[in-house]
Amino acid sequence: MKSQTSNQNSVAKISSTKRFFRTMVQQKYLYFMSLPFVIWIIVFSYVPIWGWLMAFQNYRPRNNILNQDWVGFKHFIELFSDERFYLVLRNTLAMSSMGLIVSFTVPVIFALLLNELRQQFFKRTIQTIAYLPHFVSWVVVSGIVTKMLSTDGGAVNELLMALHIIDQPIQFMAKGEWFWGIVTIADAWKETGWNTIIFLAAMSGIDPELYEASTVDGAGRFRKMWHITLPGIRTTFMVLFILSIGHLISIGFEKQFLLSNPLVNDYAEVLDLYALNYGINLSRYSYGTAIGIFNSVVSIILVFLANFIYKKVTKESVI
Amino acid sequence: MKKVKLGLSLLLVMTMLFLAACGNNSNNAGSTNSGSSNSGEEASLEPMTLRLASGDANPQWDNMQSDIGKFIKEKTGITIEQEFPVGGSDADMFALMVASDEYPDLVMPKGNVNKLVDAGALIDLRPLLEEHAPNIMKVYGEYINRLVHSAEDDSIYVLPLDGVGQTYFDAGGGFQIQHQVLEELGYPEIKTVKDYENAIKTYLEKNPTTEDGQPRIGLSLNGGEWQILISVTNPAFYATGAPDDGEFYVNQDTYEVIMHYQRPEEREYFRWLNHMNDIGLLDKESFVQKYDQYKSKIASGRVLGIIDQDWDYAEAENALKAEGKFEQTYANFPVTLDESYQDASFMGTGYLASYGIGITVDAKDPVRIIKFLDYLASEEGQILVNWGIEGQHYTVEDGKRVIIPEVLDMKVNDNNTFKKQTGIGNYFMSARYGDGVLDSTGNYFTTNFPDQIVAQYSEADKKTLAAYGKTVYKDFWPADDAFKERAYGAGWTINFDTASDANVIFQKSQDIMKKYIPQAILADPADFDKVYDEFMAELDKINVAKMNAEYSELIKKRVEMWSK
Repeated sequence: MKSQTSNQNSVAKISSTKRFFRTMVQQKYLYFMSLPFVIWIIVFSYVPIWGWLMAFQNYRPRNNILNQDWVGFKHFIELFSDERFYLVLRNTLAMSSMGLIVSFTVPVIFALLLNELRQQFFKRTIQTIAYLPHFVSWVVVSGIVTKMLSTDGGAVNELLMALHIIDQPIQFMAKGEWFWGIVTIADAWKETGWNTIIFLAAMSGIDPELYEASTVDGAGRFRKMWHITLPGIRTTFMVLFILSIGHLISIGFEKQFLLSNPLVNDYAEVLDLYALNYGINLSRYSYGTAIGIFNSVVSIILVFLANFIYKKVTKESVI
Repeated sequence: MKKVKLGLSLLLVMTMLFLAACGNNSNNAGSTNSGSSNSGEEASLEPMTLRLASGDANPQWDNMQSDIGKFIKEKTGITIEQEFPVGGSDADMFALMVASDEYPDLVMPKGNVNKLVDAGALIDLRPLLEEHAPNIMKVYGEYINRLVHSAEDDSIYVLPLDGVGQTYFDAGGGFQIQHQVLEELGYPEIKTVKDYENAIKTYLEKNPTTEDGQPRIGLSLNGGEWQILISVTNPAFYATGAPDDGEFYVNQDTYEVIMHYQRPEEREYFRWLNHMNDIGLLDKESFVQKYDQYKSKIASGRVLGIIDQDWDYAEAENALKAEGKFEQTYANFPVTLDESYQDASFMGTGYLASYGIGITVDAKDPVRIIKFLDYLASEEGQILVNWGIEGQHYTVEDGKRVIIPEVLDMKVNDNNTFKKQTGIGNYFMSARYGDGVLDSTGNYFTTNFPDQIVAQYSEADKKTLAAYGKTVYKDFWPADDAFKERAYGAGWTINFDTASDANVIFQKSQDIMKKYIPQAILADPADFDKVYDEFMAELDKINVAKMNAEYSELIKKRVEMWSK
């Protein structure tokens, strides 16, 4: 009896490998088609990982990467013992979490509202106007923001003064504690419309019969939103959310770099900027690489963590 | 069958695309190779494009479309394509260049020479100079040993662009104040910060707004971007009688070094700025504004006083001139903390081999490039880049070169267009003589000589100078022989070795300075000392003493090398 089952198992195993190869032969064209992309990924995402060796050396660009002084974890120790590193890590995480929350609530609400519009022409126009700022570069946006918030005839201060909410213009850009908020709001202005597109697309994929059925059952607009539209985009939402958690730590530095000034620098410097100033700019390529490795490791951990939590809660997995 | 065909053709398209992408690269590589093979040809006029990465952004760069640009292209066959730092600083630009290990033909790396040399990116120019560049050698003359890289490495990597034999006829720095302020107050003496403060204060009390009702600004500093060094911290040197040595104060006898913020005199200078803020004369946005905002404020004519260098505010001032608002342009004065100091801006340096141009290892044809640079360094070339083309930009009258009046008018009143259209000032790319040096015909090489400077002054400048009984602004400054020459040149031309820890300390000290100086200036006067003490303590914490000692060593080495 026992031997019989094991026999059956091995038969099943053989047939499953066989089946795998058979389908592989059958679908060989599909495999060929994916080949260029696999090569692409290897060349552009895995080959550069060689460069990580730099983090364990005193790299000097003149010599070959294998012909360098090896220093072990020296750069990591230096990195983790630098006070400034913790400061920039705090700023990075604070700004990216604020950005994450805003970029996943405002666009969803906006998409919900747009989705309720009947008039297609009006809806399309609003949508287009809303996502245009996405194409404006940060250089221009930072110029607009600093000008708007200026004490010297800036629109925001003028408005607040005219409404008698304040008597003296406020120096928005000089208050460190406000910097995170300003970046988040500027980001929301620029990206809300763009982030809405994907949610709107997901919403248009929901079966209209569901809405009809709920109308018959007497559901109002808000009921429909809550019970049909929102669950309908849940998967899309979660996939995007988990992927962006992976990017939490690598938020780039454009906006912080362009909007900051000496007074708010303690709140504005982010990890990438730190890597630039203390790594590459000082020709400390190894130190910069160590920061890069730290970034990647934290990102991977964050993605898996998010996925794990999601799996626990919903019994589904996106990775 | 149909499906298979479709799949196959799709696959074909994909691979073709992929191969095409790769193929392009190899094609490029092929063409660069063929370019290098004709390096043996002599003095060819075959068109050649040189890429030049310049650390200083030049918005008036003309892409060889100016009069001079076209002339040079015709004469030498060479087209220069310039690249500038985008957004970031020159340090970013060259660091990233080294990281990518790909270089243009020519670089003007400013203070980043060490980085490039460490990466093996620059070629030694000495053999090229000796063989192909008689004109360049002639210009540098006895100073050629000042071009040597270091005591350990006697190669020449960059050709400094500072004028050889330069005499300063005019001053572009100091403290600036609008002509209208001086005129209304009857041209008061402006010698100390108190004089300067009083002038601004009195005028502002009487004229708080412009004619169209905009509020005037007492003193605005360009402190929101990297120019915080130019507009906020360097003036602390000048106001306290020290020359600009980068971020350091060098004892002229012992060559001991401290960070200049550590001098007690400079604390007093920052205390004065703090006071200016306290009484409301300092623009509240001084440390927040972007360079664009700063320039647009100046161009609006509302800013009574600035503390800056002419090259930093010239663009904005030119806009005022183009609009004919000459009374809102600036006069400059050497202002010091009190009467006991003398402004040392013009403390001698000898020939200052500072920022220059270098040829990289990726250059296709170094010999042709050096010959091109040699042409620019020849008498003909230097007259071309300084004066322009005879008959078009200048004429020779009785053996004297004179700028054609219409051209001069454009130069003075619309300098931005002038530079772009004529190209004068855009082609200083090789060794050249400085102001005050005469050519073989007895004319000055450059257009900056006393008569010409006066000819270029606006009526407002002339009126102000006449009121003070001076001919040029430089006359306000102490005479050139008031100070001993610095044996090491200027501190800001000396850089730490890239691998040195001092570099990291320096970067940290800069971050700390950028945080505390604005804080100290904007603090309540009662808290000023507290903030400044904290600043000093932070500097001690990162061990600036170690960096100072290392810098002192570099200075001593330089003195030894140059005095040979």
